Amino acid sequence: MPPCRRVGGHVGAARAAAPVAAAVTAARRGGPFPWAMDGFVGRAAPRPAAQAGSALLPALHLPLLPPHLYRPATSHEYKLNFRKSKEACLSYIQDAMLQKQWKRAAEFLTFYIESLEKDFSTEYVGPSEMIWRIGTEILCHHSHSSMKEFNSFIEQMKTLGVKRYLKVCLEHAFHLLCNGRTDEAYQNLSLAESWRFGEQTTAQDKELKLIQAYRGLLDYYSWSKQKNVLLEYERGGFEDLSVEQEMHSSFRKAAVNLKEIIQIPGVWDLFVKCYVDFLKRHGEPKKSLISVLKILHDIVPSHELMIDFNIMLQKSKKRKKRRLGLEVIFAALDYAGWKENVKAWSCLARQVKQIIISEKHPDWIKQEWNSRKDWWPTFHFSRYLAKRNWQENESLAYEKAVVAGILLGKDCKYFKYVSHQGCKDQKKRFRTLKKFVNKHSSVYLRISGLSDSSV
Amino acid sequence: MEFPAALFPSFCGAGPPAEERGAAAAAGWGEHGQVLVGACRGPHAAETPFVARRGGAGESWEPAGVAAAPFLPPNAGCWVPSLMPQDILYRGVLRRKLRSGKSGAALDFTKQLGHFFVDHSEDAFGSLGQLLHKNFYLGNAKLRRQARDTTIRMTPLVEEINRLEARHGCPQQHLTSRVRWFSHLCRDWLFEVPLDLLADCVHDELVLQWASLLFDDSSTGGALAWLPPEDAGARTGRLVYPRGPAMNQLYFQDVVLGEVPRARGSPAQFELNGRIRQVAAAQVDGEGFVGVRSDYHCGVWRVRGRTGAAPAPLQVIRTSVPASCLTVSPHLPGELAVCTQSGAVYLWSVETGLQQLRQDPQTMFFRDHSPWRWSDFTAHPRVLSCADRTGLQCLDTRAPGRCHFDFFKVGEEAGCQQGERVVLPLYLGRAHPSQHLVATQFAVYVMDERLPLVPVLKWAHMMQDPPLFAHVVPGGPGRSHKLLLGASHTQELLLLQYTGGSKSACQLAGPPQKLHSISGCLQHLPQQLPHRHQLLQQRLGAPAAGLTAVLHAQGQRESLLVFQLSEAGDVFYQTLRHEAAQPSTADGEHKDEAAPSASPVVEALCGSAPSSPPGSNGEEEEEETFFLSNLEVIVNEEEEEEEEEAGTPAAPEEAQRPEEPCARCCPSPAVPSPAVALRYRRWLKALFRDQQELPQQAAGRAPPTISQKRLFTRQDLGPPAGPGTGTLHAWARQQLRRAMRERGRVRRWHPAPAPPPPPQPVDPAAWPDALSTRLTAAWAGDWSHWWEERLGLNMAQRQRALRERRRRQKRARGHRSLSASFTSSVTYQSELSELSDGPPGPGPPLSPGHPDALPQVLAEVWGGSPHHPPPSAEPLLSSQTLRSRGIPKERRKTLRDYLAVCADGAPETPPEPPGSQPCSQGGQLCIPSSQSQLSGSQPRRKRPRMGF
Repeated sequence: MPPCRRVGGHVGAARAAAPVAAAVTAARRGGPFPWAMDGFVGRAAPRPAAQAGSALLPALHLPLLPPHLYRPATSHEYKLNFRKSKEACLSYIQDAMLQKQWKRAAEFLTFYIESLEKDFSTEYVGPSEMIWRIGTEILCHHSHSSMKEFNSFIEQMKTLGVKRYLKVCLEHAFHLLCNGRTDEAYQNLSLAESWRFGEQTTAQDKELKLIQAYRGLLDYYSWSKQKNVLLEYERGGFEDLSVEQEMHSSFRKAAVNLKEIIQIPGVWDLFVKCYVDFLKRHGEPKKSLISVLKILHDIVPSHELMIDFNIMLQKSKKRKKRRLGLEVIFAALDYAGWKENVKAWSCLARQVKQIIISEKHPDWIKQEWNSRKDWWPTFHFSRYLAKRNWQENESLAYEKAVVAGILLGKDCKYFKYVSHQGCKDQKKRFRTLKKFVNKHSSVYLRISGLSDSSV
Repeated sequence: MEFPAALFPSFCGAGPPAEERGAAAAAGWGEHGQVLVGACRGPHAAETPFVARRGGAGESWEPAGVAAAPFLPPNAGCWVPSLMPQDILYRGVLRRKLRSGKSGAALDFTKQLGHFFVDHSEDAFGSLGQLLHKNFYLGNAKLRRQARDTTIRMTPLVEEINRLEARHGCPQQHLTSRVRWFSHLCRDWLFEVPLDLLADCVHDELVLQWASLLFDDSSTGGALAWLPPEDAGARTGRLVYPRGPAMNQLYFQDVVLGEVPRARGSPAQFELNGRIRQVAAAQVDGEGFVGVRSDYHCGVWRVRGRTGAAPAPLQVIRTSVPASCLTVSPHLPGELAVCTQSGAVYLWSVETGLQQLRQDPQTMFFRDHSPWRWSDFTAHPRVLSCADRTGLQCLDTRAPGRCHFDFFKVGEEAGCQQGERVVLPLYLGRAHPSQHLVATQFAVYVMDERLPLVPVLKWAHMMQDPPLFAHVVPGGPGRSHKLLLGASHTQELLLLQYTGGSKSACQLAGPPQKLHSISGCLQHLPQQLPHRHQLLQQRLGAPAAGLTAVLHAQGQRESLLVFQLSEAGDVFYQTLRHEAAQPSTADGEHKDEAAPSASPVVEALCGSAPSSPPGSNGEEEEEETFFLSNLEVIVNEEEEEEEEEAGTPAAPEEAQRPEEPCARCCPSPAVPSPAVALRYRRWLKALFRDQQELPQQAAGRAPPTISQKRLFTRQDLGPPAGPGTGTLHAWARQQLRRAMRERGRVRRWHPAPAPPPPPQPVDPAAWPDALSTRLTAAWAGDWSHWWEERLGLNMAQRQRALRERRRRQKRARGHRSLSASFTSSVTYQSELSELSDGPPGPGPPLSPGHPDALPQVLAEVWGGSPHHPPPSAEPLLSSQTLRSRGIPKERRKTLRDYLAVCADGAPETPPEPPGSQPCSQGGQLCIPSSQSQLSGSQPRRKRPRMGF
């Protein structure tokens, strides 16, 4: 148990605002059990003292609380019973919270706080952490809780365990940030950053890094804000040295912190973006862009950028790049997520059409098609899908019909259904599509390998 | 397939998990996780909108009922109680050590072996037992000298063993030398199966059973599936579930959706060759494909989208090792993924057959002993995910050997804990094409295929039992996806909501929510008698076996129907209502009836909320209600049916309940709606009817009864030997039979209070010599008649008269039994009418024309007449007679007792013919006589055995 350094100072505040926090204080002082604390919280309770004991049961109106929670037992039995009742109490809290009965949970929590008093546990997660977690959750959802109560509760929690001091600080800052209290959060973060507690500081290294990173982030925001102010001043012809200095210091602090976190392996989109924004690294040459996208294609072939990549590659003069473009778009369409994407289908349709018309490199299509011909027809070009696509999205049906007609020939179910429907509705593009497919039916034979000997 | 602009920050380490902590009971609460700048951010905005990974507001789904309600009638014949820890654990050790988690369980090996020896003694000792049975003496007597050389007295040994049993757990317990000596002497040769071998087998089986009690993964994935209708607007879908005593029948039931779902028509059934472990389903191109996994067989059915179309079985495969997974492709029709416990993963296509993708008995990332494997589909139809307890990999089926990548690892990458293992992977394709759920015993992870190894969402679920079932209900654009997690043994059911995946990063929305478990409805069922309550508890507490959910929208109102299957084969449902667009402050708080002025937490501290009634009044009242209701239901039980038919909405008990919430500060409304209450009652009725229909031996804990069929064989009670005893014997037998048939008690059947004995100044029977009879006849003025009789002149006439009497006498017996065995006037009447339908006698027995004839006849039967010596019970009751009829010794006494009752009291009080008695009086008379009466009149008679 850490020494209770700040408890005394908080009693006064707690009396007014934070009941849960107050309960914590009481329990830690080794005082009376929470249910005998009427006077402490300052609520007038005209109940005779003698009656208090006997009236315990109805006064609590907690039907589920087992009786052994009240009975002070002795010696070894005490320990066992205490453990049992602790578990029981926790399960009631859990039950209430999972049913969103925050008030009921709060009531039970006040009893659970007693477990702090006899914290014999050697477990990693002691009751103090439980109380912090549960209390925070209740205060987040409780309709009548206020920010003041929350802050006071968290302050108590910080003193309860040095093992998670930084974590509690960080979560506190998150809560403040989510509630739009950026300045308070910044103060909290800088306070936490300067916290030193021997080995505990190094043990919580990760939290410290995050605290620094988030402070850096906030520094960045204040920097960009100041910059805007400065820009407006400049527009007005003023010059403010102090603002400029402040801005520079923000920049310096932020840059150091952000750079540090980025060097640690992890997902740091948030920080990287800001850092990159700092360094104004824009305007990359196209060549390196393509090489980056190529890597992306290897890692995530279903990435949304693949369409842009394909368009970029289609425009290219180099054969190799156009070949890569076809590969990219075929690979993207393998994924269920792209199944109904008109843009992707039109890209594929355009490129396939181009290849057919130019009559160059139909073997590219053949190579791509070979690994897909056993499952694409059922995956993309079933009759059921034809019907549905036609009903839901006509242009998607058209683009897919183009591809289906070329890859599977004019007897393909998908193509047949869509072109038939399109011609029935007197739509011009479907008629031209039909003509186109009929004209290039030989390509289909070559692609499907039916006329290998003739090639 | 957009990717979020920015993900929540997280560290990404490598290597084994560093975090060391037990299953924290509160690990999922209170954290925001990380924060991210919201989408509408601009540097110009005064406030930077931050969003947290946890803690956003979710949609509000409120349970419509107080508990889960039965959806289908109970699964008939499923009464085999499941194995309990107490059955196989060594007593005493269980609680303390298991709870502290410091030692493994101690299995009660000797008890199991003992059970085997007792239950299957033929198999255990058959041949040697036959050889040696002459040398083992089981009697109490001392052995003779010659026999002592070759025979052992077993009685002391058995006593010794029994004493050991009684001292079980005593620290002073030690084996006595006799037992030890016998054990040393016999253990090598006495057993049919070598003891070592047998012990090994029993031990292995025990360990297996214990392991499956701790965690049984065979039902992973769940055996309940929903097939939606072809067009989204239709209200009829299909529920697929197993049923039957062995859960080996597959049912396809049409269901009409609504706030209260209804089953429509009779289900299509298929009987399968083993217990169904998992039912998986997917909808492809408007057709439903249902995969069914049992231990050694997997099958696939196709269900056309139209309702009413019969499901068609497509293919079945057999595996030599139990299969552990079967998933159906959501992309291509007729494709499934199968895994077996030997570590093989197959892609199973109905058209092309099985394709083995992997065969590796070793686990992927580190060594784990579990043979469990899983496989599921991914966003790419040709890429499958393969899982074992250590993580997930993705395989390309086109080149399974070469092309794969690690998708999820139990390790520092995902921030796992030590000891964490994958329990259930699930492809969340319906919510987002590239998202997967990975559930472990501590947490759930949402993974994105495009960003392997690092979870996009993680939450410690805090469930007591690992989640074995999961179901995702996709939310539309701008809505949250609903994720249901279900555990098996504890029946826990959690509803989680999360958003994001494509444009924004994944976030948990709102706090998790606990849904009703099946066993939770126990408290809302009508009170039952204790043994039924226990039965019900056992039935409803059966582990869960499956879970599915359907989103149902009717106009503006949305409801989520959650179906649960239990291992007993019962399907329950619950409805959650969506409460749209409430002000966020009131979110989730409307349940608390707190006074708005005071801070509720303050109130909680003070202990006494204003809503609670002062003093113990409330408590008392409640108690009374409970007691009343209890009493009432027990009395009413037989009339349950009528009550139901009358459509009474709620029992009085339920009507009283609404007071409870305010008295107890328990916010859940405690009364099931009338419709649900009716469902409960119907279900209960069907359940208990089903239970009664079962043969006695199958019902595990039915109260013991004695079979009435075997006590006396036909021979025992066959036709009597002597002509004189015949009538009485037949009559007594009839009585006995009747009592048995009615399951009533055998009583004295002459309960009439003794009427004043007729004055008989001279008893002619006391003077049987010829002179006295002649004098008597002369005194009566009938001397000539006596003389004729003496000479044998009117023999024929007498014989005729005798026959006539006998016939009447038979009638009279009918009456007597009547008055003896029936208490209600209704039965009395019916019996009368039956009687009058009988063959025509010398005159209707009830006719007032012969008022005095019957008593006379009866008196004769019971020995009132000097001409017919009483057919006394003595010859029948004598042991010689009984022995001569082959009645075994132990039954003779019983029989004698019964017959003694027949003879009881009859001579002095011949019952009056029923016709001459008013009904009311008859009813009174029929009440069995008190003990005092019996003992008073016949002190030496033995009491009949009651309660037969």
